[in-house]
Parts: sequence; C-alpha cells; structure tokens
Amino acid sequence: MKKKISNNMITYGMILLFYVIMQVMISTGSISSLLQGLLVPLCMYAIAAVSLNLVVGFSGELSLGQAGFMCVGAYASAFFTKLTEETLPEGPRFLIAILIGAVVAAIFGFLIGIPVLRLRGDYLAIVTLAFGEIIKNLVSVFHVGVDKSGIHFSVKDAASLNLDEEGRVLIDGPLGITGTPKNANFTIGIILLFLTVFIVLNLVNSRSGRAITAIRDNRIAAESIGLNVTKYKLMAFVISTALAGVAGVLYSHNLSTLNVKFFNYNTSILILVFVVLGGIGNVKGSIIAAILLTALPELLRELQDYRMLIYAILLIGMMLFNWAPSAIAFRERVKDKFKSNKKEAA
Amino acid sequence: MSFISYLINGISLGSIYAIIALGYTMVYGIAKMLNFAHGDVIMIGAFVVLNMVTLAGVNPIIAVLISMAVCTLLGMAIEKIAYKPLRNASSPLAVLITAIGVSYFLQNLALIIFGADAKSFPNLITLPSISLADGKLVITGTTIATIITCVIILLGLTFFVNKTKQGRAMKAVSEDKGAAMLMGINVNATISLTFAIGSGLAAIAGFLLCSAYPSLTPYTGAMPGIKAFTAAVFGGIGSIPGAMIGGILLGVIEILGKAYISSQVADAIVFAVLIIVLLVKPTGLFGKNIQEKV
Amino acid sequence: MKALEVKNLCISFGGLRAVQGFDLSIEKGALYGLIGPNGAGKTTVFNLLTGVYKPDEGIVKLEGKDITGLKTTAINRAGVARTFQNIRLFKDMSVLDNVKAALTDIYKYSTFAGIFRLPSYFKTEKLMNEKATEILEVFDLDKEKNILASNLPYGKQRKLEIARALATNPKLLLLDEPAAGMNPNETIELMNTIRFVRDHFDITVLLIEHDMKLVSGICEELTVLNFGEVLTKGKTSKVLNEPAVITAYLGE
Repeated sequence: MKKKISNNMITYGMILLFYVIMQVMISTGSISSLLQGLLVPLCMYAIAAVSLNLVVGFSGELSLGQAGFMCVGAYASAFFTKLTEETLPEGPRFLIAILIGAVVAAIFGFLIGIPVLRLRGDYLAIVTLAFGEIIKNLVSVFHVGVDKSGIHFSVKDAASLNLDEEGRVLIDGPLGITGTPKNANFTIGIILLFLTVFIVLNLVNSRSGRAITAIRDNRIAAESIGLNVTKYKLMAFVISTALAGVAGVLYSHNLSTLNVKFFNYNTSILILVFVVLGGIGNVKGSIIAAILLTALPELLRELQDYRMLIYAILLIGMMLFNWAPSAIAFRERVKDKFKSNKKEAA
Repeated sequence: MSFISYLINGISLGSIYAIIALGYTMVYGIAKMLNFAHGDVIMIGAFVVLNMVTLAGVNPIIAVLISMAVCTLLGMAIEKIAYKPLRNASSPLAVLITAIGVSYFLQNLALIIFGADAKSFPNLITLPSISLADGKLVITGTTIATIITCVIILLGLTFFVNKTKQGRAMKAVSEDKGAAMLMGINVNATISLTFAIGSGLAAIAGFLLCSAYPSLTPYTGAMPGIKAFTAAVFGGIGSIPGAMIGGILLGVIEILGKAYISSQVADAIVFAVLIIVLLVKPTGLFGKNIQEKV
Repeated sequence: MKALEVKNLCISFGGLRAVQGFDLSIEKGALYGLIGPNGAGKTTVFNLLTGVYKPDEGIVKLEGKDITGLKTTAINRAGVARTFQNIRLFKDMSVLDNVKAALTDIYKYSTFAGIFRLPSYFKTEKLMNEKATEILEVFDLDKEKNILASNLPYGKQRKLEIARALATNPKLLLLDEPAAGMNPNETIELMNTIRFVRDHFDITVLLIEHDMKLVSGICEELTVLNFGEVLTKGKTSKVLNEPAVITAYLGE
C-alpha cells in the first residue's frame, strides 16, 4: 500500500520536475524553438497515452481508436470556441471548451462501448479501429456556418450554407476549422496532464478500479462475486475516451488549423506504442515513453524516415520479450543465475 | 438497369471481401486470434504482382503465382516469428498487440521500399466484357474473373477442409487443440498451414482488388482488411460459407450505399452493419457460440 | 425453509446429457456434500447453480426464491458464492484487494468520490479494510495481505478463494474441491475452517470433494452423482457404505 502511494508521488514529482526544467530552459533561452513548439504536443501525447493505458493496462481491452476520440474532442471544442469567440471571455470559454471536448468524446465512447464491451476483447479493437477511420470520413463532409439567422449546416460545400454577408464558416469540410485561438500553452498542458494522471491513478486505487482490474484478471471469477462486468468495462472505456477528448482539445487549441488528417490510424498506433514501450499498466512509463519518443525523432531528423519502422520493430520485440512464456522463463533463468553468482561472490 | 449493374459490382467487390474474410475466419477459427496483419499481406501481394509485371516484365499469371508464393511464405514467417511464441501468453492482449505491430511494420516497410504516392495498377485481366440488354448493362472482364475466382476458391476450400487429411486436421485443431494433439495431429504444422493458405488467398485478393480499383499505396490493404473482418463476423467467425456470404452481402451493401447515399457515408454504413450484427447476433449468421470452460 | 431446492435440473452439450433430472434439497445451515467419480457432472451442477450455464430444464430456488436462469452476477447478489476447481484468483492484485474486490457492492461510495478522494472514500475504505482483514484472519491469511495473490502457495490460494467468496455475504457457499492439492494436515485445518465459517457466518455449505476423509469428516448429508444422474442420497455414513456407490467409484 505504502509502496503504491510513494510510486504515485514519484509520477507526480516527475511531471513537476519536467515542467520546472522546461520553464527554466525557456526563461534562460537555452531551448530551441523546435523543442519549445513541441511542448504542448508532448503533453497531448502523454495524456493520450495515459488514457489509453487505463483501457489496455487496467481494463485489459484493446482500443485502436484513441485518435478518433481525440478528433471528436478537438472538433467539438474548437467548434464551441469559434462559435462563442466574440461572446465569451477567453478564460471561462477555454475551460468550457475542455469540458465539451471531454464530454462529447465520452458520449461517443459510451455509444461504441455499449454494444462492443459485452463481447470478446478482439471486437473492441476492430470496432474502435473502424470508428477512428470513419469519424475522419464523416467529419470531413461537414460544413457548418453561423450568421444572424442561426447555425447553417451542409454536407455539400461551404457555398451551399447560404450565409449572409456577415456569416462565418466554422467547419469547412476537409479544410477543417481554421483560426481557432491559441488558448493552449505548456502550463495548461501540464495541468491537464497532472489532472489526467490524478484521475487515472485514483480511479485505479478505488472501489471501481479494483473491480476493473479484477475483471481484467479473471472475468468469470469477477462475475461470481457479483461484479457487473459490462458496467466497469464501460466505465474504464468512457473515462479513457473523455481524457482522449481532452488531449484533442489541446491539439485544436494549439494550432490555428485543425485538420482531420492528423487523427489517423498511425496516430492511434503511435499512442499504443507509447503504452507498450512504457509498460502496459505503468502510468509513469507511458508518460516517459510519450515524451521521449515524441521529442527524440524531432530532434534527430535523420531518423525521421525510419521512425515508424523502428517503432513497429520495437513494439513486436517488446511484446515478445515481455509476454512470450519462453522469454519469461529465459528471464527467470538469467535472474536466478545472476542471484546465485552474487551469492557465491558474497 | 443501373440497380442491377450496382448489384453486380457489389457482388464483385463482395467476392474480394469474401476471399480476404476466408483468411481471417480460418486463422481465427484455428488460432483464436485476430490477425491484424492480414490486410497488409494483401497490399504486399499486390505490390509483388505490380513490380513483377512492370519492372521484370513477367507474364501476369506467373506474376500472380509468384505473389502467392511470396505471401504464403510471408504469412508462415509472421506466424512463426511473431505469433507462435505468444500462443500460451497469460494475456490475450499480447498476441493482438503484436499482430498490430506486424501490420504497422508491413505498412512502414512498404512505405520505405515503394514510397507513399499511389501507384496505378495495370489492367492485367484480358477477359472480354459482356454486354447485355442492348448495351445498357456491361459486365467487365475483371468483374467476371473476380466472381469466378471466388466461386472456385469456395468450392476448393470446402473440398479441402472436408475431404482431405490436412483439412480435417484443421477442423480438429479448431475444435480442441489438446485433443487434436493427443490424436497425433501436428498442431504447429496445422496452424502454419492455415496461415499459409490464408496468406496465399490474400495474394489473389490483392491482385483482384487492385484490378478493380487500380490504385496501390502501402495503406491499400488496411481498410478492405477491416471490412473483410466485418464480413467474417457478419457470417459467423470460423465459418467458411459464413465468410463467403458475409463478404458478398457487405460488398453489396457498400456499393448500394455509395450509389444511393454518399461515398463517404458508405464506409460508415458498413461499420454500422458490424455494430448491429454484434448487438443482435454476436455469433454472426453461421457462427457457433464459443463458451469458456469453467 | 430450505436453503436450496433444485428440481429436475437438465443440461446437454451437443447431444451429450451432462446433467439430467438432478434434484437436491438442502436444509438451512447444513454442510452438504456432492460426490461422484470424475466426469459425473458435479462441476456442471455448480455451473448451473451459479448461472455460468443456463439449464435446459429445471428449477433452482434459493431460500424459496426462484433464481433459475439468472446471470452469474445476479445469482451472487441473490446470495450464492462459489470457489473454482481450477483456482481463479485475481492474480495481479494483492491478497487484501482480492477480498476487497468482493466487497465492492457491499461498501459503496461513488466513483467520483473515489477519484477526487472525498471524505466518503476514506471512511468507506477504512471499513472495507477492517472487514477484509477480519475475513482474512479467519483463514490465517492476514499476515500475507499485501503480497500478490499469485505469489501465495497453492493451499493458501484455495483458502483465499473461499475468503473472497465469503466476503460477498452469501447465504449459500459452493466449494469446488476445496482440499485438492492440500496435504493431510492442511486438509484437517481446512475442515475446521469450513465448520467455523458455517457456524460463524450463519451460512449453508455445499461442497464437491474427492477426499473421503474430508467428506466423511464434515458433511452431514451427501448426494452421489454418476453419469449426470443422481445415484443415491442420504446421511453420509449410510451413503458411503452403499454397494452402488462403491461400485461407481471402484468399478465392477
């Protein structure tokens, strides 16, 4: 128990330390503009990875649509921000935008989770994967504009919205949303990451979290002690999608152009790579992996072309090394040998 | 008349889905795993045919045969290197994530070797088109070839599974691995054979897919892969006729959706079909209910 | 009122009649044994009673209430808890958390309170810890409460499964071969624990067991199952001496 608590403290401390170091480097000017531009994306990837780890690590399900839920969060929040740009002050507006991003992504998570989470784990993987691809298709058909007479909507093009001369186009199909104010910054990113870690770690160490991990460890035994399997799987999944939505809000409020192309299959897989390399069920690991694997390739441009290929190989290698029974037995043997050598030396 | 022509196109696309779905359903039936990389084997197969024909100038039929050989070996290698070590892993997630890793690997390998831009796939099927109803209804040679190939594969595979020793071994392994082993069946070889057949069929599917939709990128296999898996679930995972019928129904739904609603929404409709099937009948049209032993 | 009443329970798997016409009637507070040779259908009966399988026919009544065909979760909430022949613990959770997981629906606070650590979280968690420790003490597992369940020795894993089942506050406890893999000393200790649990927690126990010393030592009454049908039933000493039972076990 104590160990768990101190381990959590290390995670919080690490985030804080990362923040302080970056702030010092920014104020002393010893950070490249490239890296400085990466700070918000780093927070976004870390939030996405921690949220995915809740599903993969603690609920034992595989979701491949994390980018899709980020997309939902990004669009919903940016749409709200653009809509109320002139009517609401910046601070509260962004706060509401974050909440909207989380809630809308959670609703999508709920709707997808209900039919799928009752079934074998593989189905969630394929359905979330399909969802991630299809949400991209659907979003790029939408054209939404606003003028005095209200909100206009079309699936054809911006011209057919029939806006009056003062009307504004909010969502322009494949061009997405442009001119979203840059409300996100590194400090907000870190606060949201902190909050994400807080929610995930506290959930895991609570009544519902125990139920979630119990179901992961043995579904039949969990049912035999009266746990409602679908309810707890759905809870983990919906919280995860809400947090992915928050990561999406960071994305859309960091760049002035929001385009669906970013939220593709590759992004979902990249987030999974962070989770696997950081250690399945290890929140601290997810953050470290997200930060290192996002920052390093940007700094080492030569590697860029081979980045994805290397990640794929790392992913396969890591899974084989950590999960193959023969690899586990091999590690045990090496450990025993090491121990006995040490004893002999003593 | 246009409805009938859409219907025929749908059956043709569905035939391709069906051939891909066979690979999913056989592997799922026997290894109880979702082979995410299956869709990408299709893409590799199509690239092999393309490069054989355009760069090496090989006869198209030989090129397809070479592509089948390459994919068969590739499928067996993937199984041996990435999946077999995880067969008895404590978490079912392990092999699933590894399969995604393999899929990601194949896509990015193809990206580095062949580049990201779409290659146009030559028309290699020289069968003449058929013109019906005074030229109002034209069925292309590709469509005819696709549907005929699909029927031949279904008949061949049904014969193989029910009448040959190896085919019956497959059925036995999918029922009960342990019992099959006790009956003297080489389980490892049988699983390997299943991957070999599935991947060989994927090569044919890749060729047919690119003949009908002649644009090839490293991501070409991904979406048809997902849809074919949907087809396999629709028909009942593990069932060969189920994969066939599921594939054809899905192809028809997609083409009709594209024709009468909108091309972007058609994918969403296919996906909605998956969700509805999972809600109403998770075992699919012909599937069996697999119960965990307590 | 009877603790458990089962009438004409039947199930077949693909033409194989695994259990047929199974009747059972257990008095409240009894220690009842279900025995029979391997493959007789004993575990299948447990799976039918706990909703893992749905019976083709028959009625199951718990303290007069019909629970036939309910889902496993609902049956547990109605008051039936069980252990498994092949141990099913939450292996990556601590011993304490295994029991606390079973207390999930007895000691409640909202998920929101759990995440944001409201006072109800601390208050309820404290109660849960006390209750779980109290149950672990019965099985002499309280000293190991912080280690992972999978690191417990085999005999203690079996005990933890009983502790976990007991934590759900059942009226009827089903034990599937509780003494399997235990040495004679551990078995005697287990017999005492089962008796203590029955008296102390005021429950009815139905157990499957092959260890005849345990069966004759603690079971008051028995039902013998053979080829999915009831061979005989009655007082333990009487049943164990019936020639038909001996034949079923030892063959002709």
